[in-house]
This record gives sequence, C-alpha cells and structure tokens, in this order.
Amino acid sequence: MAKYLIRRFAFLLLSLVLASITLFVLLRIIPGDPANALLSVGATPEQIAAAQHEVGSDLPLIIQFLNWVRDLSTFHFGTSIISSYPVGPEITSRLSLTVPLTLIAFVVAVAIALPLGFIAAFKAKTWYGTLLNGFSQLGIAIPVFWVGVIFIYIFALKFMILPSGGVPPEGWANIPGTLKYLLLPIATIALVMSSSLTRYVRSATLDVLGSDYLRTARSMGSTFTQAMTRHGLRNAAAPVISIIGIELATTFVGAVVVESVFALPGLGSLLVRSIAQHDYPVIQGVLFVSTFAVLMIGFLADLIQRIVDPRLISSSAGDLR
Amino acid sequence: MKPGKKFGVVGVAFAVALTLFATSAPANAASADATVDIGSLYEPQNLDNTGGGGQGVVEALNGNSYEGLYRLTDGGVVENLLATASKVSKDGLTYTFTLRSGVKFHSGKTMTSADVKFSLEKVSAADSKSARKSSFKVVKSIATPDAKTVVVTLSSRSISFIYNLTYIWIMNSAAKDFATEEDGTGPYKLSAWKRGSTLSLVRNDAYWGTAPKNKTVVYHYFTNATALNNALLTGAVDVITSAQSPDALAQFKSSSYKISNGQSTTKLILVFNDRVAPFNNVKVRKAITSAIDNKKLLASIWGDYGTLIGSMVPPTDPWYEDLTGVNPYNVALAKKLLAAAGYAKGFTFRLDTPQYDPHPAAAAFIKSELAKVGITVNINSVTDDQWYNNVYKKHDYAATMQEHVNDRDVVWYGNPDFYWGYNNTTVTSLINQAEQAPNARIQASLLKRANRIIATEAASDWIYLYPQIVVASSTLSGYPINGLNSQFYAYNIVKN
Amino acid sequence: MNQVKSRRSWSLIVGLVIISTITLVTLISLVWLPYPIDNTDGGRLSPPSWSHLLGTDKLGRDLVARLMVGARIALSVGFSAVLIAGIVGLTLGMAAGFAQRWLDESLSALLDILIAFPTLLLAMLIVAARGSSLTSAIFAIGLGMSAIIARLTRLLVKRVLAKDFITASRASGTSWPRIIVLHVLPNIWPTLIVSFALQFGLAGLAEASLSYLGLGAPPPNASWGSLLQEAQATVMTSPIAAIAPGLFLVALVIGVNLIADGLREIADPTLRRSR
Repeated sequence: MAKYLIRRFAFLLLSLVLASITLFVLLRIIPGDPANALLSVGATPEQIAAAQHEVGSDLPLIIQFLNWVRDLSTFHFGTSIISSYPVGPEITSRLSLTVPLTLIAFVVAVAIALPLGFIAAFKAKTWYGTLLNGFSQLGIAIPVFWVGVIFIYIFALKFMILPSGGVPPEGWANIPGTLKYLLLPIATIALVMSSSLTRYVRSATLDVLGSDYLRTARSMGSTFTQAMTRHGLRNAAAPVISIIGIELATTFVGAVVVESVFALPGLGSLLVRSIAQHDYPVIQGVLFVSTFAVLMIGFLADLIQRIVDPRLISSSAGDLR
Repeated sequence: MKPGKKFGVVGVAFAVALTLFATSAPANAASADATVDIGSLYEPQNLDNTGGGGQGVVEALNGNSYEGLYRLTDGGVVENLLATASKVSKDGLTYTFTLRSGVKFHSGKTMTSADVKFSLEKVSAADSKSARKSSFKVVKSIATPDAKTVVVTLSSRSISFIYNLTYIWIMNSAAKDFATEEDGTGPYKLSAWKRGSTLSLVRNDAYWGTAPKNKTVVYHYFTNATALNNALLTGAVDVITSAQSPDALAQFKSSSYKISNGQSTTKLILVFNDRVAPFNNVKVRKAITSAIDNKKLLASIWGDYGTLIGSMVPPTDPWYEDLTGVNPYNVALAKKLLAAAGYAKGFTFRLDTPQYDPHPAAAAFIKSELAKVGITVNINSVTDDQWYNNVYKKHDYAATMQEHVNDRDVVWYGNPDFYWGYNNTTVTSLINQAEQAPNARIQASLLKRANRIIATEAASDWIYLYPQIVVASSTLSGYPINGLNSQFYAYNIVKN
Repeated sequence: MNQVKSRRSWSLIVGLVIISTITLVTLISLVWLPYPIDNTDGGRLSPPSWSHLLGTDKLGRDLVARLMVGARIALSVGFSAVLIAGIVGLTLGMAAGFAQRWLDESLSALLDILIAFPTLLLAMLIVAARGSSLTSAIFAIGLGMSAIIARLTRLLVKRVLAKDFITASRASGTSWPRIIVLHVLPNIWPTLIVSFALQFGLAGLAEASLSYLGLGAPPPNASWGSLLQEAQATVMTSPIAAIAPGLFLVALVIGVNLIADGLREIADPTLRRSR
C-alpha cells in the first residue's frame, strides 16, 4: 500500500508538471498580441506601444516560463493584464462559489442516482424500469444549458418563486439568500448528472447481479442479501468510485456552463470572460487550478478505491464510455 | 423499494425549501433610504478610468463617486461641477479655473489645485490608457498659483477643451492604488465590489452638494442580455442601463415597466479601406452605400428602435444634420455607379467581421444585399485580437465592420493615418480649423462642412445609430435615459 | 432472453430511423433548401406559416433552411471529431497494447491524465489558444475523445493478445501486421464501433455547449447549438425557434445512443446475460 501510495503520488506530481508545461506552451505559441486586449478604437501608436510594454511579452520565453513556474509554486499566478488585479485571490473568491455549487449538486445527483439506478437494475423488466432507463437516456441527450433555460422559464419567470440568476451582494455572509440563488443551478446540474450516474449505477448493479461469484455464493447457501453485502457491494464499489471520480470532475466543468446560464460569479464565468478578453494570466491560472482539481479528484478516487478493494492492481479501473 | 415514495420525499424537500426561501423577500424600504438595484452588462475591468477600467467604470463611478471640473448632464449640457468659474485669455490659450471650496475626498482630505494638476497629468501620462489621451496633447503646462486656482496653458486653441474636461475625474493625488480603491469627491462612496457579480455604492454623508435621493446603489453585472432581462422581470434589479435587443422588449410592454428611448452615440459602420482598390474609388463606395437597405437592416436588428443618420455625426453632436438623403438606398443607382466605376459585373471582397453581435447578422444581411448588384462578399469572422492586429494596426483588410461608441468622433476622418485611411486634404484642414475656432458656432459650421464632404464621398457606410434603451420598473423615477459616454448618474433616482 | 433481444433490436431500428432521417435532411440540404441561407426577405421573427413552416429568425431568414444547414454541421462535427478520435485513439491504443511494458505504462499514464480531463475543459483550452472556429471545436472535441478510444483500444488489444489462438498463430510464424489484420482488428472492431457511435452523440452536445458559451463556430455557421443560443433571447415570444433545434439535437444524441445500444448487443453477446 505504501509503495503504491508513493508511486501514485509521484504520478500526480508528474501529471501536474506535464499539465503546467502544456498550458504554458499552448498559451504562449498563440498568434496574436495580448496587448491588443488593452486597446480601444482611437488608441494612438504610442498607447499601443505602451500596452505592449506593459504586457511584457518582450521577455525571453525561458524567463517567462520560469516566472510562471515561480508563480505556480506560490499559487500566486501573476496579475491580470486587463484589470491589473492579482489572479490568485480572484480565483480563490470564485472558488468559494464554484466548489460549494459543484459539491452540493454532486451529492444531490448521487442521492438521486443511487436509488434510481438500483430500481432500474432490479426492476429492469418492469415498465417503470424501462421508463427510468428512458428518462436517463433523455437526461444524457439534453444539453445542460437548455435544462437551465427551461428551469428559469418555469420557476423564475412563470411562477416567480426563485431568482433567475446572480447572487446577493453580501455573498456567503447571507447563507440562506445565497442558497436560494443557487437552488436552480444546483437542480440543473443535479438533474443532468443524475441521469448519467443512474445509467452507471444500473449497469454496475446488473453486472454484479449477473456475476459468477454471486451465483456461486448463492448456490453455496447464502441468502441474496448476504451474497450482495459480502461480495456484490465490494465488487461494485470499485468501478463506481472510479466513475464517481470522473463524473465529479465532469460536474466541476459542467458548472462552467451553468454559471454562464445563471450569471454566477464562479470560476467558469471567469474563464469564459478571460478567454473572450485574451487575458492570458487569468486563463492560465484558472486552467491550472481546474487541472489541479481534476487530477486531485482522480488521485483521491484511486486512493479510496484501494482502501475499499485492496485486491486492485491497475491504477484505475476503466469504464468503457 | 417503490420509486413513488422516493420521488415523494424529494418533492417534499423541494417544496419545503421553496417556502423557506420565498418568505424571505425584503420589504420595501422608505424612499430616501432606498436601495436602487441597477442591472448592467458592463462590469468595470478595474476602478481607474485612465487605467483601462473601460466603459463599466464610467457607468458606475462617473458623477457618482468621482467628479470632474465640469459635468456633462444627461441632456448633453456642460455645467460647472468642481470648478466654479473659468476665465479664458483673448488668444484662447490660457484657461484659469477657480475651484469649489469645501470639497473633500472620501478619505477626508480637502481637494486642492494640486489634485487637479495631478489628475490632468494622469490622463496624458505615458501609461495612460484613456481614450481621451490625444485630446489632451494640446496642454502645454499646468500651474497652481494657489490652492483654489489652476492655470492651464495650451499650445494651440482648443474649442473642445472645457467639454473634454467633463471626462476627467479629479482624483486624490495622495492615493496609492487607483485600480482597486476609490477616493473621489462624489455623492457616493464605494462600499464593496464583488468581482463578477455586484458593485455597491453607499451615500457619502459628507458630500459637498445636494444629498442623493437614495441611500445605496448596487450595480449587478451580467454577461448575457437574457440573464439581464430576466433579472428585471423577476425584480432582482429595478432598471437596466441599456437593453441589447428589441426582441426581449416585448416582455416589458406592461404598466409595470417603462421603456425609455434615449440618445446614443454608438454607430454601426461598414468601414472601407479607402487606401486600396476598389474602395479608393468614390463611385464604388457610393454604389455600395446605395445598394444596402439600411432601413431594413436596422429594422431587422432593432425593430422600431434606432436611427438612420447617413454620416458619422449623431444628433447629440452640435454639428449634426440629417444626411440620409446624400447616398439614398437605390439599387438602380448603385448598378449605374458600379458600371461607371468599371465594375459593371461586380467584384468580390472580403469583409472582416467581428464575432460579437450585431456584426455577424449585419454582415450576413450586407452579403445578401450586395449579391443583388453582383458584388460577392466573403464574410471572414475575426477575433478582437485579429481585428486590432490586422485591421487597426496593419491596415491589412479590404472592408470591415465596427461599432464606434464615442461622441464627436467625426474628427477621426481628419487623420489620414487612421485605420480607414480616408485622405482628403480639405477635410483635414477643415477639422483642424474647427478645433482652433474662436467659438462654438464657427466650430459647428466648419465641422458641418467637413462632415458633408465625408458623407458625400461615402468615406464609410454609416449603417445606423444604435438606440439607447433604458428599461425600468415603473416604481422608479429620476434615472438618466441618454447613454452619453456611458455615464449613468444614480443620485436622482427615487424608488417608491 | 428472446424478449431482451427483441428490445435491443428495437432500439437499433428506432436509432437507425432517426439517424437516417437526419442524414437524409443533410443530403437534401446539399442540393435543395427552401430558401437560400442568406435570404433575409422573410420578415423579422415571422410566426410559422405555409411559406415559412417554422417561421423566420430575427433577420428574416427561414428557420427550416437554417435547421437543415445545422444538420449538415452537426453531422460533420460528429464525423470529423470521431475520425480524429479514431485515428489518434486507435494508433495510441494499438501502440500501448502491443508495446513493451515501460512504453505501455507511460502511454497509459498519459491517457489517464487526458481522460481525467473533461472534453469541455480541453476544448476551452484549445479555443483559448487558437480562437473560436469550427475547426478548433472539432479538433478539441476529437482530441478529448481520442483518449477514451485509445484506452478502450488498449484494453481490447490486450484482451485479444492474451488469447490462445494468437500464441498459436505466432508459433506458426505469422507476422505481427498479419496478426493485426487477421485477428486483432476483427475482434476489437465491433466494440469500438459502439464507442464511436456514443462519441458521435457526445460531440454534438459538446459543440452545443461551446456555442452556448460563445466559443463555438462563429456566425454565419449556424450549428444547432448557435441556433439554440440565439433563440434563448426570444423564447417567450417565439418558442418554436428555441424548441426545434433543441429537439433535433436531442434526437441526434438519442438516435446514436440507441444505435450504440443495439450494436453493443450484436457485438458483445455476453451482455445478453443481463439477468
């Protein structure tokens, strides 16, 4: 276990280094001048020159890269070229919205998907099993922003019971107020995520139900419940945890779109805005933090998987999607 | 396990949550201590209007937190603000300003002539990103004989000098960080800015002038127009500073809302590169202008709103006149002009089109209109970055589209190096003379003459003037309706 | 068992009907449109009528014509993205499957990183670097999916290579390329097809999300995603403009998912054992 832990951790570090190099290379070989983001129609030639100097793309690439690594190691991320605000605190403040949004929505999605997935598997042959399966198919096929637009239409515009977007000016100082504003975004993410999770839970359950060890256990005289708790759950848990890891990462990114629909000041809207403005320090910072989060989730999922089922050898069990 | 039961539990939880939240709506506060919620698409980049704060910072802070020596009212009149009097020398080169007494910055410091000098120099400083930087090139020196007097000497006459001063915020020369902290003299202090979401202003009780008619102003920022409209529909904001599409206005046509159609200075322009063939040929430019039905394009983008102006000059500029008849919509005339220019069979050109609304739609419309006179348009979608690099800096384009937001910007046609490359020595000299005119009447008549030439030669095709639409809840009054230079004075807003 | 089988074939048939309809619409759009796509004479936002079956958009363009062109873009995004994913994914997956331990491990590690990366995040990264265009979107989506294909291919190749007939074939002196063509490809192909079908639908959804964020294909390329995004502003007054492209998109995704379900049944009979 200890050996595995060290290996897995080394892999995480290596991934982070690779990711930061990729980010840097991708974003620095772009054609175009970041200084343009500072111009407005009517800018004089000397204003153009000043903007170019300010952005500092005149430094040698290697120096720029070293600066970037130094910034990363201190989680500082430099300053925005558009707003001249430090990127680090900006990201932290955005995370204070995105992280709760993602986690709450994900917990709700899992809470919906687990029972529904079990029902869909155990009652696969009944009409409501089929219906559930159909619903989860539909849930996967609908774009997440469209669900958001429909929710806004129904709950905010038609019945006027929930706000259509934004957050209260006090932020988390007003917890019930903020939660009220987050209810529709959470419902949107949870609905979409739960339908794909339902499918995974259903197929994992079906796999276990059809498996040889379950049959063997039953033929050796265990009751169904005994067989399930002793063998079924443990065998099903590993792939489910791995998928939950991947889906949590997907939820985190799905929040990007939903934040745009509901005008929420989260990490996603910061990323969309900075891409539109070619604000490279911010883009780099946000993408690095997102990558970090995604890799961390994978790391933790692997670790938990190991604890639940120590027999596993390969680093991560694959779903075939 | 029965699925119905599970659904039931989830449903009840949801309903409980709804009733919990639904009852927490705040009661209406008394009018003088009211909070006004303003919805906008233009969040400031930072708080410094000479440091790239953008139009958002003007909208939120100009006249509210920061004040200039002069104020441009919502009606377009220039009036004294922090300056109480000014004297101009006979040659028009020396301006002596007397400052208002008893004006204090929000930090408590008293405003002096040193602050005014500092603020004026900040605009023309090397790192200034002010769009007005070039207008202040004429300032030769600034003297401060005493704490209440500022003497500005110009290198040449500048009739627009006082007008241009309305853009210049008087900032505290002792302040450190203009991008993240506010220290002005206005009726509101900045109380909080949650970036990406809201900016709150609170009444400045030590204000030198009339106290604002409300206590708190909160700007709510949105990145898309639909979310902004929804916020007004659900009562999350009381007013939106500029509606972006007429389609959404249908939902505000009730007694609960008021739609104001004000004056704007934003023009949508089909810009020809006047340096290169075939657009160096006046006949070709006139032909294209006559081939496009601007009225129909305006209607399809703005419905019943917006104005056709036929030139670069909007009605709020003092030298406005209706020039829509100069190059009328007339397909037969367009064909004749094309033939006369030697392009009877038409030609093909590339239209560099910015990716944001309304440019793509307008480009598609122009393409279909010009097809009728045999001209093929290749729409080339460009990012802002590509636009600034290739079009604005390198002039490497045939035609492009752009919205020009500034007022009084017809003078840019007097600069042959500008990106559209319009070069007419008569126009250049008229525009220079106008700036040095002894009075506003002569300035206006000179600029009128210049503008008529520019329009007649179809230097560009001025497609339409944007409408400026403010939509407000009918409980609100006293808000500005003209989007002059993007400012939005909040101090007179009354909420019932 | 028979019952299960018949349900599976049903999904294949329904899926095929949906996808053939969309393909047919696309083919028709190449030779015929009710109105030229640039024609703006329909009047702004006219309601559905006989001359404009679904009405017009705010520029007066016929919505049926725009939807038909949208089908063209949806299919080409799907095909190109799957093609990229297929080429990159198969190559990497095969390489890892056949490779020495160290190469296999490093490739797998790389794939694990890539796979942990949601496609949308990758797409936004590429759009940030390259600017938004249809090519960027396709490239990004294809690349994001290739990791999934690669890992699947590797798994399948490993599984086949462990079989006795490969050892036998090797022993009788068959060359590796021959083994790939004769044994490996035929054995892994069916499962891969299923995965390709699923990815096809996901590509459509990813493109729609990018378009919604304003990072997809810029106008005048009217993908269903951009049509949805445009129609959002007028959903109260002309809901049909918002509903129609949404339905098409949902139909496309469900269609390929159904086909994938049906194919999976045919390709992998072990799945029939589902209780």
